[in-house]
Amino acid sequence: MIDFIDYFLGGISSGAIIALLALALVLVWRSTRVVNFAQLGQAMFTTYIALTVRDLTNSWIIGLVVAMAAGLVVGVFVHFLVIRPVKRLDTSGAIIATFGVLIALEALAAMIWGGDPEAFPPPINNSGYELFGRTWPFSPYDLLVLVSVIVLVLALSLVFTRTSVGLAMRASAFNPEVARLSGVRVSRMLVLGWAIAGLVGAVAGVLVAPLSTLSPTSFDIFLVFAFTAAVIGGLDSLVGAVAFGIGTGLVIALVSGYSDSSNAPLVALVLLVLNLLFKPEGVFSHHKARAV
Amino acid sequence: MSKIRGLTDRAPGSRLVTHAVIALVIFGILTWFNQVVDPLMSYYLATAAMYATAMFGMTILVGLSGQVSLGNGALMAVGGYIFALTSLNWQTVPILGTPWNAVWSMVFAALGGVVFGLLVGGIAARLRGPYLAGLTLGIAVGVPAIANRFPGLLGGENGLMLQVPYPAGGYASLESEIGDTEGDFDSDAGFEDEGLYEELPDDFTDQQGEEFVQDDFLTEDDFLTEDDFLTEDDFLTEDDFLTEDDFLTEDDFATDEGFEADVDSGAISDDDLLTEDDFLTEDDFATEEGFATDEVAPEEEFDEEAFGVEGDLGADVSALDGVDSGFVIEQWQASVAVAVACIVGFVALNLVRGRQGRVWQAVRDDPIAAAVSGISPSGSKVSAFVVSSLFAALAGAVFAQILSYVGPGAFTLGLSLSLLVGIVLGGRNSLIGAMIGAVILVWLPEFVLSLASDRGWEDQITNNAPNFVYGLAVVLVVLAAPGGLVGGVQSLLKRIGAR
Amino acid sequence: MLRVEGISVSYGAVQALSDVSLDVPPGRVTAVIGANGAGKSTLMRSLAGLVKPQAGRVTFEGEDITGRKPEDVARMGIALVPEGRSTIPDLTVEDNLKLGGMWRSHTQRGTSLNRVYALFPVLGERRSLGADTLSGGERQQLAIGRALMCGPQVLLLDEPSLGLAPLIVTQILELVSQMAKDSGLAVLLVEQNAATALRVAKTGIVLNLGQIVKSGPAQEIAQDEELRHAYLGY
Repeated sequence: MIDFIDYFLGGISSGAIIALLALALVLVWRSTRVVNFAQLGQAMFTTYIALTVRDLTNSWIIGLVVAMAAGLVVGVFVHFLVIRPVKRLDTSGAIIATFGVLIALEALAAMIWGGDPEAFPPPINNSGYELFGRTWPFSPYDLLVLVSVIVLVLALSLVFTRTSVGLAMRASAFNPEVARLSGVRVSRMLVLGWAIAGLVGAVAGVLVAPLSTLSPTSFDIFLVFAFTAAVIGGLDSLVGAVAFGIGTGLVIALVSGYSDSSNAPLVALVLLVLNLLFKPEGVFSHHKARAV
Repeated sequence: MSKIRGLTDRAPGSRLVTHAVIALVIFGILTWFNQVVDPLMSYYLATAAMYATAMFGMTILVGLSGQVSLGNGALMAVGGYIFALTSLNWQTVPILGTPWNAVWSMVFAALGGVVFGLLVGGIAARLRGPYLAGLTLGIAVGVPAIANRFPGLLGGENGLMLQVPYPAGGYASLESEIGDTEGDFDSDAGFEDEGLYEELPDDFTDQQGEEFVQDDFLTEDDFLTEDDFLTEDDFLTEDDFLTEDDFLTEDDFATDEGFEADVDSGAISDDDLLTEDDFLTEDDFATEEGFATDEVAPEEEFDEEAFGVEGDLGADVSALDGVDSGFVIEQWQASVAVAVACIVGFVALNLVRGRQGRVWQAVRDDPIAAAVSGISPSGSKVSAFVVSSLFAALAGAVFAQILSYVGPGAFTLGLSLSLLVGIVLGGRNSLIGAMIGAVILVWLPEFVLSLASDRGWEDQITNNAPNFVYGLAVVLVVLAAPGGLVGGVQSLLKRIGAR
Repeated sequence: MLRVEGISVSYGAVQALSDVSLDVPPGRVTAVIGANGAGKSTLMRSLAGLVKPQAGRVTFEGEDITGRKPEDVARMGIALVPEGRSTIPDLTVEDNLKLGGMWRSHTQRGTSLNRVYALFPVLGERRSLGADTLSGGERQQLAIGRALMCGPQVLLLDEPSLGLAPLIVTQILELVSQMAKDSGLAVLLVEQNAATALRVAKTGIVLNLGQIVKSGPAQEIAQDEELRHAYLGY
């Protein structure tokens, strides 16, 4: 039983981060009907920027803030690169283009910062709390991660449900034509969606970096986890992304704990396959994933 | 191939013949090319042919059938591992003898490809765009991890070394010329069959605390390239291995008192002390003249002529007894790769330019209309998967032969992405595009390397610049020239033709 | 107020509208009627900016607005209630309404919202519920309400009677007509149900195969039996 609690606690931070990354994917999907496979490349890139800034200023917070700004900018940039030039990209074209961006970003990061894994120091203590005479696999840093994710998700949901901008973004995603007829500048809302996704991804990247190492390809596996979570929740559902993001993180932690950590990608793959076989549109969604 | 567009109107039989002729002509040209160039170019040819084999499958899957899949790298892994496992475990089974074992291994690899293709296709063919891409992404990342789950059978992180079944005549004879070194070396059968293992003292194993793995031993691949000339001394014998006695302990180090005491007591004699003579001087090193004049025992003499000079290895090897003339490893690998590529290309050509190709495209462009016409959209999508994974598995088997190795590190996500990049840049819908893409994949990194050495770029730029270029090029191609290089040329020709 | 001069629209090889001209004056309902495929919806969509005409001009208060983007057209004061239920079921009733007129001031929007709830009480009752809980007629009210939230000077109504019971249709159309008279709103009504449309309209325009066949006072057209048989199906 203690083992279970340990693995569970260990999975909370990664679950929270996967939730953020899945959220970013869903944000982009809802606004432009494209899965931005480059999203995690963008997160990796902005995390490198955060590390550089942090080393220059000795402040994690400044690094985080700069990364968030960079996330916005990169998100907008990639949006214009992939979505704008061709109004009606065939689906394959858009998918391939996002992979092109991913490849280019990983190569660029390696050229600028080198391909070797780097350590990203956590801003606060990363060793587990000591309670009741044992060390629990949950540290002050894990708490920070959890709190940050909760705050960000709450902030986003408030923006979406209570503000005009949020309403405009939601409407643009659900029915762009009606939104335009109502005077909403839909194309701007799409850009905003990508920008926010970039910001969310940047935060996720900075939060996850101290938990492992940072290298140009270190986020590839998270792409699989985040995509799995997003799909299971339903690509249209922000709530689903968060819920199943945490769920995926916990499942992976449990599996890694009870068997072996190299099983993690396989587990994600199995979950993905099961979901796509039986409920491809996701648990919380309206739309169809199947062809014809 | 656009020049022969009119040929699709002819009867299927004659089309088959035309395609066969094309494949044979290309095979002939490449084989000739293989024979006349130096081994480095043969290696590039082999790699390009291997890529092309896999990419023919991608053209069908991503181009004609419109299913963007990242799983083909993993499917290559399936083929590569099956080839490795069957050639490792079967190469002593005398099915027509070597090199026909290789053919059997490739057949098994191909079968594996078909099975996995059915498996993956069965799930994936039901999915739309991003779901399919994401699933195959998961496959590309997850399947190599399977190797780590079974370190015993599949070799884990380090992978498996291959015993590549070269033509027996060439390889075995070379060895006998090198000279028997107390039976340390054997035929292709490998180290472990020799008594070498048993002769190692047990405590060696204990010292190291771990078992020998096949990787720790030298195999044929470490010897005999153009640049290496082997002498008897290069072969390991029992004596080269460290035993407990070889390690220094405290007692071995002289202390001042100990030294004097030993000298006094006679434990150290004059002979133990170093004198001038013990140090090497210039005279001790063999010079060409010195070598010839020094008294070297006949059997120690280095028979220069038995070994080739750069680029000449093939011809010189033929001077040895009983060897097939012109045997160079890279040429052999290239001829295998080219043969497989031409066979696969022939099959692909028939599919693409035949009815099946039209069916795939029809389902891609309008699945409902296709269904109404009596074509099963899911059936056609699955068939595209099966064909492409068959090709990928064969390419993986060839890859295994080129590397003489399979491991998770050889079949990364990057490989799958490279295949995608290749067909996108060359032209998604064209087999010629696949070939162009294969050439680009082999040529660009070398081009960047040569630029880098001219301009003194750092390693981290040189190694990653090709990928950066690929990424940007893919985005540009998708936005501006979706047909890739081939498509661009075609529309250029159309515009010129229209004037 | 809204003037259409000789617009032609084609979708590829199909000519949907040929040289159509009309005026939409304020304070009354102008009805465009005709059989299915006559080009009525195309007309509406080109006025709203969803479709760009190949020829001709659309001017609003003297300003040329031909080919402008729909969101710009809406912000200028021309609101389209498109064919079919143009509400967003994933949003609440109130959110659907608030979607309209976001560029306006807080006070303006507040006033408009109250007005809409006064006109369509059922919307006020269900304001926090999902729009998918509304019936067909209620959704039409919601769609009109959203358009009204934009504070328009011109209201374009595309086939509001589709799929609705005749009683409800009459109610809605009479309400709209009343609004026009009371507030000076210019209403362009496109309808397949010619009889009801002509009852509330001041002017009638008959469209057939993309061309105007007849235009004049609504009552005249309603009484012209030959015309009705030929183009209006009754």
